[in-house]
Amino acid sequence: MSLVTIIYGSLFYFATLILFAGIAYRIYEYATIPAPLKIPTPPAPKTKRGVAVRLFREVVFFESLFHSAKWTWLFGWLFHFALLLAFFRHLRYATDPVWFWVSWEIVQAAGHYAAYMMLLGLIGLLVRRIFVDRVRHISAPSDYLILILIIGIALSGLMMKWYPTDIFALKQFIIGLIYFSWSELPSDFMLLLHLGLVLLLMIIFPYSKLLHAPGLFFSPTRNQTDTARDSRHIADWARKLES
Amino acid sequence: MAVKEFEKPELKEYSDVPLLEKKATAHLAPFKSKEEFQSSLGYPGELVDNWQDAALDKMGDLLKKYRSLRVYLDSCIQCGACTDKCHYYLGTKDPSNMPVGRQNLLRSVYRRYFTLPGKYFPKLVGAVDLTKEVLDDWYSYYHQCSQCRRCAVFCPMGIDTAEISMAAREIMDSVGVGQKYCNEIIGKVHKIGNNLGLPEPALADTLEGLEEDVKDETDIDVKYPLDQKDSDILLVTPSADFFAEPHVDGLIGYGKVFHQAGLSWTLSSHASEAANFGMFIGSYANMRKLAMRIREAALDLNVKRIVFGECGHAWRVAYSFLNTLAGPFDFLDPKYPVPQHICEVTYDLIQKNVLQFDKSANDDMVVTYHDSCNVARASNMGDVIGGQFTIPRDIIKATTNHFYDMDESTIKEKTFCCGGGGGLLTDDLMELRMKGALPRMEALKRVVDDYGVTHMAAICAICKSQFSKALGYYGFEIDQIISLHQLVGNALIMNKKEL
Amino acid sequence: MPIEVNGKSLEVDEEGYLSNLNDWEKDVAEIMAKEDGIDLGDDHWEIINFLREYYEEYQIAPAVRVLTKAVGKKLGKDKGNSKYLYELFPYGPGKQACKFAGLPKPTGCV
Repeated sequence: MSLVTIIYGSLFYFATLILFAGIAYRIYEYATIPAPLKIPTPPAPKTKRGVAVRLFREVVFFESLFHSAKWTWLFGWLFHFALLLAFFRHLRYATDPVWFWVSWEIVQAAGHYAAYMMLLGLIGLLVRRIFVDRVRHISAPSDYLILILIIGIALSGLMMKWYPTDIFALKQFIIGLIYFSWSELPSDFMLLLHLGLVLLLMIIFPYSKLLHAPGLFFSPTRNQTDTARDSRHIADWARKLES
Repeated sequence: MAVKEFEKPELKEYSDVPLLEKKATAHLAPFKSKEEFQSSLGYPGELVDNWQDAALDKMGDLLKKYRSLRVYLDSCIQCGACTDKCHYYLGTKDPSNMPVGRQNLLRSVYRRYFTLPGKYFPKLVGAVDLTKEVLDDWYSYYHQCSQCRRCAVFCPMGIDTAEISMAAREIMDSVGVGQKYCNEIIGKVHKIGNNLGLPEPALADTLEGLEEDVKDETDIDVKYPLDQKDSDILLVTPSADFFAEPHVDGLIGYGKVFHQAGLSWTLSSHASEAANFGMFIGSYANMRKLAMRIREAALDLNVKRIVFGECGHAWRVAYSFLNTLAGPFDFLDPKYPVPQHICEVTYDLIQKNVLQFDKSANDDMVVTYHDSCNVARASNMGDVIGGQFTIPRDIIKATTNHFYDMDESTIKEKTFCCGGGGGLLTDDLMELRMKGALPRMEALKRVVDDYGVTHMAAICAICKSQFSKALGYYGFEIDQIISLHQLVGNALIMNKKEL
Repeated sequence: MPIEVNGKSLEVDEEGYLSNLNDWEKDVAEIMAKEDGIDLGDDHWEIINFLREYYEEYQIAPAVRVLTKAVGKKLGKDKGNSKYLYELFPYGPGKQACKFAGLPKPTGCV
């Protein structure tokens, strides 16, 4: 077993642990911190079903962003949607036998072209961050670096079209990790770069602003029902003040 | 008394987003609260010795009590969508008045002490130490936020800067750095019952005077009762309604509505204030203590319903928080929501044909309507989605012949704050207030030019006082701001039935 | 930052309102008015005296409407409005006149 395989295999386990345990812990934290007051913003739904619809629209269409910054919405939405398409395409490396819909031509092709869409979105966001004075002012180094990291992932992934690797061996490596029966990872530079950047992204996820993904679902302005007059909403720590 | 000179913003035909000017309003900070006001609220009188540790402890405490604070400090992607949404940024050009700029003042300290990357790579993630300079910036800029939540509507994550600015003020209060305006006022309510410090005899005298005035005007005995036990309705209204113009015209209007509808009602000298500045300083304990006065008054006066007068943040606290803070209100009549807004009462009476209007009484006015931020973005009316927008407008349309809305991007959930909300309606922040009023004044100017609008109606005491100043500052007449129930009172057809 | 009146140093708050109500004397009003660029005439004194009498009775400044009505009764209907009061006290009758009269500043949403 090559050193590269051992390093990447170990890193995959480590990064997966950080990603899932980290996000699970954040979700646990968010879920257990009380929201003592009703603070939904309009148009606030009256029912839980309405909240589900609202969150669906926010998550799928970025509705609030659409109303506030059209260019950011366009680039941001292109990037995220492309990310989803690319993810679907990549499932063929992690499912055995490959899930039937993953092998559909349309899913594979869309996943491929998504790389261009993703780059367009990301570069748009980066350009905006550099050239709009208000956005430049609020940007910390990490804000640029995360964009550059994801651009790196998209670009190195796309480059593999021209610097191909042994994808059967790659798949065996991935499946081997999943079933704890390791096999060799091809040591092509572009592949190692691509995977390395993905691992880095997984590791920083629970410690960075990427937490906006779970965060949105716990945002009280978006996930609360507008029912303050109908039923009494009170946190445990607030109830203690009453005795 | 003269306010320090500052550059007057120009009213433009179409509002644009200014290029930023760093630290443009760093010099603006309200007077600090003295020891006597601090201690009556349970806070230290001056900056405590170990203030850094104490502030971080308090931040840690709030992070465990408020999901909003924790999620919002974590979830910002610094996308910049909010950067052109705050009226204070548009008016001052100071980037720390961009919602994300304001949030980052607290977020950078949160990252430094509460997150892994901030502890080890502070520069990388924009984390900073909590220094005296940072505390001073907090004091300046968290008192340049009117907690109007316009940014929260536009944020893709729903991040509400008001939640962060309230937490920051609570942290500062807890280490002995409080704001004079808010804390002096809260102390007065705890002691006397209202923001003004208006004692019961003065209130009684003022209301008696109002009865005389209305009698002179209409020849009808409209009563403005105080502490009348066993009334059906307890009216809780901002004390500015007793004291200031044009607020008092609204109060006269409520009385006429109750009279004409034959409803028995009373004011309370114990709960003679609808406002709840406890919210502005982010203090749940003070907010609750203020809200409890209303419960106590309702029980003491043995009323069946609670109705709130025209006051923006008071309606937020009433609609969204009162049941939480001072409930349950199971001793009141279950047929009515608790509490109700005076606009809901008037609207229902219009629907039931109990009130009739002679719209021509308001023909000297062409009216527009300013959605007060806390009503628009933090409450509802009538239990239909958007009722807080439609009900006041429907009342205006029922009482006037000439109504025009301002630009769609400046009303309803996108409304601009008047510039004086959130505990900033104080003379020591006059520069900020006038600059913050700019977006609303521009929108108003457009309907004045296009439709000949002469008056702007509002349902918030702060808005009314703030606009009385801002209108004059921007070349309008100060009496162009009116109470919504002034329109109602003017047009209401009264007859001489006695209760 | 105290103010000097007749050789005495009187404590005032950040906005120039007397800290101690009992420190007030006529010259206090004169000196404060001069600072604001106002010459106090009989019209001003009518208002200042009314404010002080009202405060004595109720421990609070009168509401704007109470003030205008009292002025109207005393000086004639044409003067019983806030426009007249603003002419006398450009910064606002409630606030500027209160300061000259040695009363605390009205607080709240006013």
